[in-house]
Amino acid sequence: MNIYAYIFRRLLYVIPVILGVCAIIFLIFNVVAPDPALIILGKHATAEQVVEIRQQLGLNKPMLSQYFDIVRSAFTFDFGRSWSTKQEISEMIKAGAVPSATLSFPAFFISTILGISISLLVAFYRGSMFDKVTVVGCVTLMSVSSLAYILFGQWFFAYKLGWFEISGYDYGFPYFIPYILLPAIIWVMLSVGPDVRFYRTIMLDEIYQDYIRTARAKGLSERVILFKHVLKNAMIPIITYVVIQIPFLILGALLLESFFSIPGLGSITLNAINSSDFPVIRAMTVLSAVAYIIFSVITDVLYTLVDPRVRLS
Amino acid sequence: MNKLSLLSVLIVAVLSMVSCTKKEISSEKVLNLVVGSEVKGMDPIYSNDRYSSNETARVYESLLEYHYLRRPYQLSPNLAEAMPEVSNNGLTYTFKIRKGVKFHDDKAFPGGKGRELVAEDFVYSIKRLADPKLQGLGWWTIDGKLKGLNEWREKNTASETVNYDEVVEGVKALDSHTLQFTLVKPFPQFLYSLAMTFTSATAKEVVEFYGKEFLNHPVGTGPFILPEFKQSNRIEYVKNPNYREKTFPCDATEEFEKIAKEYCGKKLPLVEKVIVSIIKEDQPRWLNFQKGNLDFIGIPKDNFDAAVTPSNELASDLSTKGIDLLIQPSLDVTYTAFNLDLELLKNKKLRQALSLSYDVNTSNKLFYNNRALPAQSLVPPGIAGYEKDFKNSYRGHGKEDEIERAKKLLAEAGYPEGKGLKELTYDCPSSTVSRQIGEYTKQQFAKIGVKIKVVQNTWPELQKKIDTRQVEIWSIAWGADYPDAENFLQLLYGPNKVPGANGSGYNNPEFNRLYESASTMQDTPERTALYEKMTRMAAEEMPWIFGVHRQNYVLKHSWLKNYIITDFEAGTEQYLDVDVEAKKVALEKL
Repeated sequence: MNIYAYIFRRLLYVIPVILGVCAIIFLIFNVVAPDPALIILGKHATAEQVVEIRQQLGLNKPMLSQYFDIVRSAFTFDFGRSWSTKQEISEMIKAGAVPSATLSFPAFFISTILGISISLLVAFYRGSMFDKVTVVGCVTLMSVSSLAYILFGQWFFAYKLGWFEISGYDYGFPYFIPYILLPAIIWVMLSVGPDVRFYRTIMLDEIYQDYIRTARAKGLSERVILFKHVLKNAMIPIITYVVIQIPFLILGALLLESFFSIPGLGSITLNAINSSDFPVIRAMTVLSAVAYIIFSVITDVLYTLVDPRVRLS
Repeated sequence: MNKLSLLSVLIVAVLSMVSCTKKEISSEKVLNLVVGSEVKGMDPIYSNDRYSSNETARVYESLLEYHYLRRPYQLSPNLAEAMPEVSNNGLTYTFKIRKGVKFHDDKAFPGGKGRELVAEDFVYSIKRLADPKLQGLGWWTIDGKLKGLNEWREKNTASETVNYDEVVEGVKALDSHTLQFTLVKPFPQFLYSLAMTFTSATAKEVVEFYGKEFLNHPVGTGPFILPEFKQSNRIEYVKNPNYREKTFPCDATEEFEKIAKEYCGKKLPLVEKVIVSIIKEDQPRWLNFQKGNLDFIGIPKDNFDAAVTPSNELASDLSTKGIDLLIQPSLDVTYTAFNLDLELLKNKKLRQALSLSYDVNTSNKLFYNNRALPAQSLVPPGIAGYEKDFKNSYRGHGKEDEIERAKKLLAEAGYPEGKGLKELTYDCPSSTVSRQIGEYTKQQFAKIGVKIKVVQNTWPELQKKIDTRQVEIWSIAWGADYPDAENFLQLLYGPNKVPGANGSGYNNPEFNRLYESASTMQDTPERTALYEKMTRMAAEEMPWIFGVHRQNYVLKHSWLKNYIITDFEAGTEQYLDVDVEAKKVALEKL
């Protein structure tokens, strides 16, 4: 099948998925969520005001009409205004996307490269003391709570040693760099443990395949085997693992953004959840669903590039 | 370039970025403040929380303000030339507006030059607060108070557009600088609403120019200018170069005489810039303060023991850094409310028994670092209606005889040793401390055989449960909107039941009658006597288990001058000063 036709067909799948996501969001917020009128009006609400604001928000409209409003916003990306802050949601997303991306993408890139490199080394020295120490190190890194890294990192490296900013963010290159260094390092520390363990398993899986034994029998060096054969064949699971994480990177890092006062999408989402700000939660949910679908299409297309045996159908 | 040198260049680049973190100390006077929550926007009619209200008040001004150097709190003129003339029947308030006050320069004005403030701006701003299409969050401050305003609001609810040109008798401009309010009935507390951010002066042409984006383009008459508000982690205000000739007050109550003497007559504001950092987590707030990046902070609970000694003094390591500790009771009350719509909880003896079983002293130690004041009723100290020596006879302190009395009352209520009483549900907000308080309450009630189930809720969920009456017992607190006992007593006024502020649904005709009389009276000993009677009535009836009145603990750096803890901090940063030289020296020690 032509690659463009495939992409087009997969993108059409977005429609039923979005309809389903909208249905779930609609049900959740109409069944369990608190009354937004009360959230908006605060402690001095009167019965008349509650009625008026429900009218203005369209909460008195028929259920089906409310559902179609959600669907429409998902396709037009016009999410309206936040109930809590009254800000334009598309502007909030634009403003939050940059700080989130400046933290999450470099940190993700570094942790992925580091994870793959270490796992290749570990695969190369499999069974040695280096392998064992690395695995134990990874488990140790994974065992410590993310909050502990944040609290210690902030106190020791930023406050005591003064190497980094304690918190904050400045827009524009290179001003943001001092602010994202420490959270990015913590991100890498948090990710490298599970990454190395995952990639190591993939690498070792490949290393014991027949074709590797054949390569060794042909007299190829271990270095050539690892980089030319093992890494290339391990690319499919690696791509799946890496690309599918990207939509979540767009949403930012809730805890890191909150502790380092980075005004990203993670902070926006957290605020929205805390204040039951339905339009913002809806926007973030729809965005992540769309991003997830798009990136799963990208994953499929990338498969064909790294492995010619894979056919799109 | 080989790989090694490329790597070296990268490392050097990163290290130079890191070195950028060492900032030079500005010779400008800059206030560095912090807020612990997002700031919603800069539209006065929506600034109903402390954070948004404080930010809005840096740019906008109201007719009145709280005198910075007088306690008990006292209103003083701000954009008004003087306090109003009040008619004999207490219904008409006539204000003279200051002349020559200019709005900030903005492109919404012809030629970009801010025009002079006139009385009509207040008429417009009050109508905007009442506009049914806008649903201003401060509507409650004027709801039912001004003649013809509720009718105007109602009329415009049904119509397509809101008619701002229609004259409303309750708020009129008599001439360009004379403003008159006419009340429906006497309500002396009305003046407090004129010191709130909700009633700040806004210019009609600016609101119309920016439309829905007005909340991001604050244009007021205030001491600071913010060209555009962006929801971010930092808000930076600059001094208004055209600010009117407002000077530091020369009169003060005794405790602030020294400040008045030093700063009397100095032109306001005292600093060039105000930088507000939004830091939601306690640790970065605490560390930034200790590093000197913030001028003052409220002490986070987890750092309290490190900052304050058991004898209520500042820890020595902080005092050697030139940090000062300030303590002041806040105008608030925490409480555990009963849903009095439920037949079960209408049982007064049951409520009294539960209150007696609750050891307030231990809860004070556990949750308030033993620094709060156990509440005897609902009115906090510092305002008329609070009686220093009054003791609530159903207030528990963990004593054996109190538990015995509680058990006896429970038996009289019809539930000896809790037998026959179903497990009650206790709802609380989802914070860790609230949950801990819930668990503590559970343990306290268990002493007399009463079982409760603790349920955590997000704040909106708890609000919804209260308003839809799906609650039995819940914990909550109230902070003063203005320094008058009426603001606390209205929490038990029958007609204020949900969605009004009377969540427990207490409805005692005698209490309601007293409240109605007192709320129309001027501040007199007779009114104070009525307030006291009502607080005693509440202490006997126990619609709530009264908790504590909390205290504010604030740390400030020595370079920050004139800082005073206040319950009404909106607009007060104009009185603060920064000693730049002292800051340079102090930062060396941090």
